Amino acid sequence: MGKQTELLQGTLDLLILRTLELQPLHGVGIADRVAQATKGVFVIGPGSLFPALHRLADRGWIEGEWSELATGRRAKFYSITPAGRKRLIEEKRNWNRVSIAVNQVLAEES
Amino acid sequence: MNLKRIFQRLRNRGRADADLEEEIASFYDGMQARRIEAGLTPGEARRETRAEFGSPARVVEAVRDSRVEAVLETAIQDIRYAWRGLRRNPGFAAVAVLTLALGIGANSAIYSLMESILLRSLPVAGAESLVVLNWHSRPPRDGGKDWVHVMQSVSGFAWKGGHGSYVSGMFPYGAFETLREENGSLSVLFGHFRAGDRTLSIGGAASSAGGEYVTGEYFRALAVRPAAGRLIGPEDDKPGAPPVAVVSFATSQNRFGGPAKAVGQPILVDNVPFTVVGVAPPEFRGVDPAWEPGVYLPLRANLLLDGSGAASMYGNGNFYWIELMGRLRPGVTLEQAQSAMAPRFRQWVSTTATTDGERAKLPELLLTPGAGGLNSLRRDYSKPLYVLLAMVGLILTIACANIANLLLARASARRREISVRLSLGASRWRVVRQLITESLLLASLGGILGVVLAHWGTQWLTVLLTNGRENFTLGAGLNWFVLAATAALTMLCGLLFGLAPALQATRPDVMPALKNGRAGEPRGWTQQALVVAQLALSLIVLVAAGLFVRTLNNLHSVQLGYARENILLFSVDARKAGHRDPEIVNFYSGLRRRFEAIPGVSGATLSQSSLIRAGHARGAMKVGETTVEGTRVLVTGANFHSTMRIPMLYGREIDDRDQPGSAPVAVISERLARTYFDGRNPIGHRIAFLKEKRELEIVGVSANLRYGSLKGENPMTVFIAASQVSLRGMTYALRTAGDPLRHASNIRDIVKEADSRIPVTNIVSQAAEIDRTIGQEVAFAKLCTGFAALALLISCIGLYGTMSCAVARRINEIGIRMALGARRGAVVWMVLRRVLVLVLIGIAISVPAALAASQLVESLLFETKPNDPAILALAGVILAGAGILAGYLPARRASKIDPLVALRHE
Repeated sequence: MGKQTELLQGTLDLLILRTLELQPLHGVGIADRVAQATKGVFVIGPGSLFPALHRLADRGWIEGEWSELATGRRAKFYSITPAGRKRLIEEKRNWNRVSIAVNQVLAEES
Repeated sequence: MNLKRIFQRLRNRGRADADLEEEIASFYDGMQARRIEAGLTPGEARRETRAEFGSPARVVEAVRDSRVEAVLETAIQDIRYAWRGLRRNPGFAAVAVLTLALGIGANSAIYSLMESILLRSLPVAGAESLVVLNWHSRPPRDGGKDWVHVMQSVSGFAWKGGHGSYVSGMFPYGAFETLREENGSLSVLFGHFRAGDRTLSIGGAASSAGGEYVTGEYFRALAVRPAAGRLIGPEDDKPGAPPVAVVSFATSQNRFGGPAKAVGQPILVDNVPFTVVGVAPPEFRGVDPAWEPGVYLPLRANLLLDGSGAASMYGNGNFYWIELMGRLRPGVTLEQAQSAMAPRFRQWVSTTATTDGERAKLPELLLTPGAGGLNSLRRDYSKPLYVLLAMVGLILTIACANIANLLLARASARRREISVRLSLGASRWRVVRQLITESLLLASLGGILGVVLAHWGTQWLTVLLTNGRENFTLGAGLNWFVLAATAALTMLCGLLFGLAPALQATRPDVMPALKNGRAGEPRGWTQQALVVAQLALSLIVLVAAGLFVRTLNNLHSVQLGYARENILLFSVDARKAGHRDPEIVNFYSGLRRRFEAIPGVSGATLSQSSLIRAGHARGAMKVGETTVEGTRVLVTGANFHSTMRIPMLYGREIDDRDQPGSAPVAVISERLARTYFDGRNPIGHRIAFLKEKRELEIVGVSANLRYGSLKGENPMTVFIAASQVSLRGMTYALRTAGDPLRHASNIRDIVKEADSRIPVTNIVSQAAEIDRTIGQEVAFAKLCTGFAALALLISCIGLYGTMSCAVARRINEIGIRMALGARRGAVVWMVLRRVLVLVLIGIAISVPAALAASQLVESLLFETKPNDPAILALAGVILAGAGILAGYLPARRASKIDPLVALRHE
């Protein structure tokens, strides 16, 4: 798994929205996707994942719906809403600005 | 924020929780399933998943805590917990809620009175742009005794302003006409004056109502809309205009059966026919809260109603009688209007001065905000109300200190519980919040009960303070304004008495408390300080009560010089029903004889007013060659002195021998006789009233009596025969056996039989009439005694609680002392000594404060010095006595301690 990194405040929302932009997923799926996509840098435990999911749902950016898995068990699948897509565009823009700024600072240092 | 979603979740909490738990469970299932696929047994998979992610329950909690409504839920939880805590301790809760309710209720009641008197606006559109016109000058009688002022006569009020100035709201008509032309700053100027009590006859039935004369602009300027018909306009206020009247909404309902039925109806005002053209709206009750008109008449209707003198009022620039108000033009400030109008008034008023003395103190115009209407009530009541508010403020402070004390005691009892919660990881803030919730809950319960008490209290206070005064528009009651103030006060109290105990109880040093269940604060300094504060504040309230009770006693023990009991008073005005000289004299004396014949009535007489309200001077008079000023003159019918039990020293009283045709007579008081006849018998001598150019023969000398206000003096008094002067309304006095008021209906019947157009007004016993004039003092004495008892009670509860705690804390020490041979008496003394020390510290702190505070109420006292040492001593003794009483119970309990039990207690 490699070394894990603490998540920046607010980054989790961006990661979840980005993940759900591609396809609806349930909790386990989201955790897997994030770990996979970041090559194990970010591992999201349920203690932070679920509060984040519910917070995003409360704001109307994602919606959850129960459906059957292939294994026959039930799981809640989250999908992104139009408001969520708008929010994602904003978050991406923010992130880019921040990361460029941080990289500049780092470049100056070295 | 998806409010719909949150709202649904709140409405269906159970299902939302189940849904969340299932969601988390399915996550854990998924993770476990993956591990089973990887070859672990179900048990191992379960353990490993939990090891990695923690328990599902904690995840559920984390989600719940992150929700928006979580704050609300913890608050609800806190409230439930606090409620359970209070239910477990019903005695504590009852004492706390009750003391708080009394404190808050008293505050709200006083505040609602203040709101209605001092703060409320007139119920008219744009009240904030209204202004009231007053003037101020040096007093007419400064230095010498003579009246020197352009205001040579006045009908209305004048009062003392700041810096010894003399202020009035009355103007001559000429000033109104002049200022009306200065219309740059006021869009409209209007006038009005009290028409006094008038007899309204409608369809043959007569009753009395307050009247108000208004100029044609009055209603338009106040932006009042009629409830029916039309209101008085400029066309009605002209000499010779058809006589019209506007009646108040209440009059229309009581006398006509509704506003619509009143319009167009004929009405007799003092037997003069008018036509009702309209009805004022229900909320409008005139511009003076102390005068609620039942009928509004055009200004110049006084030419029809008030006889020959009325016409001269308009042209006389030295007679002050009309009150003026105006409306500022948009954008004009009060100061701008003042500086625009004042020179104009100054110029006009200087033309009315005829001597240098008058010119030296010309009135200056003074504009004041008129949103609240006239401020006559505010002048009379603002100081008493502030004093009462200060008193109830003190009571509430005592109550808060008391509850803080009870909470402290409770907190030390709960220290263990709190320490356990703190050491189990509850944050300090969380526990403080819990404790504050508890005190806010207490405060809210107290506040709610307080509002109920305030509702009654306000009605009671209104009766107490207005004390039979009629025409009052004081609509004091609980409105949103008062309720909001009460709510704010309640929350403030909750925080005030909750915060300190909460912070103290959660101090970080939890370990000692855990080790030792009982140890709280080592000596309970905070508690003792709070008790001392309560005692000190109580002393102030006690001293105030003492001062006001003393004042009332002094007023009650004033030597009147005439009978107070078994006298019935009532007023009849035959002139308003059309009786004229000389027939009116016979009418009045005929009535007197019929009253005298009532079984159970041993005497009947009449005078122009009751003695306690008498205040008439009749200008200067001459005794021999000496001019005498300041004598009081009362017009009386036959048998006045014998009915009123005023002793005659020489000669005879006025009786039926004195007829219109016979020689004019007078009875003088002893003081006048002593001052101007030194030693000689005045009988047969003559006195003369300069203005009337009439000589009267002195036929009798009566003993001195308290004429007019109880607080006044016994002035030189002259009684003249009613049969020999022109009469208006008269007040009859009957001497009765037993309760005077039981003759009331009999009297009404007799008057109705004599002339059905005349209403009998103001039927009252002499004792009640006198008490009415000291209503404020009676109210203060009653209220403050109540307040003092309340303060004392609350403080004693505090003292009792503190001493009980102290005894409990020192149980070991007391046990040891007793084991070593201390006697019970010594133990009682040990505790009482502590009580006495606290009481003495309280008194020591509070005596200077009480002395300073009592200076502030000096103007409300009568023949009582504010720093009366006897009252101070009495208050101290009462406080110490109550303190010892409260401390005795814990002291006795301490002395009953069994040394063995106490030592085993550890």
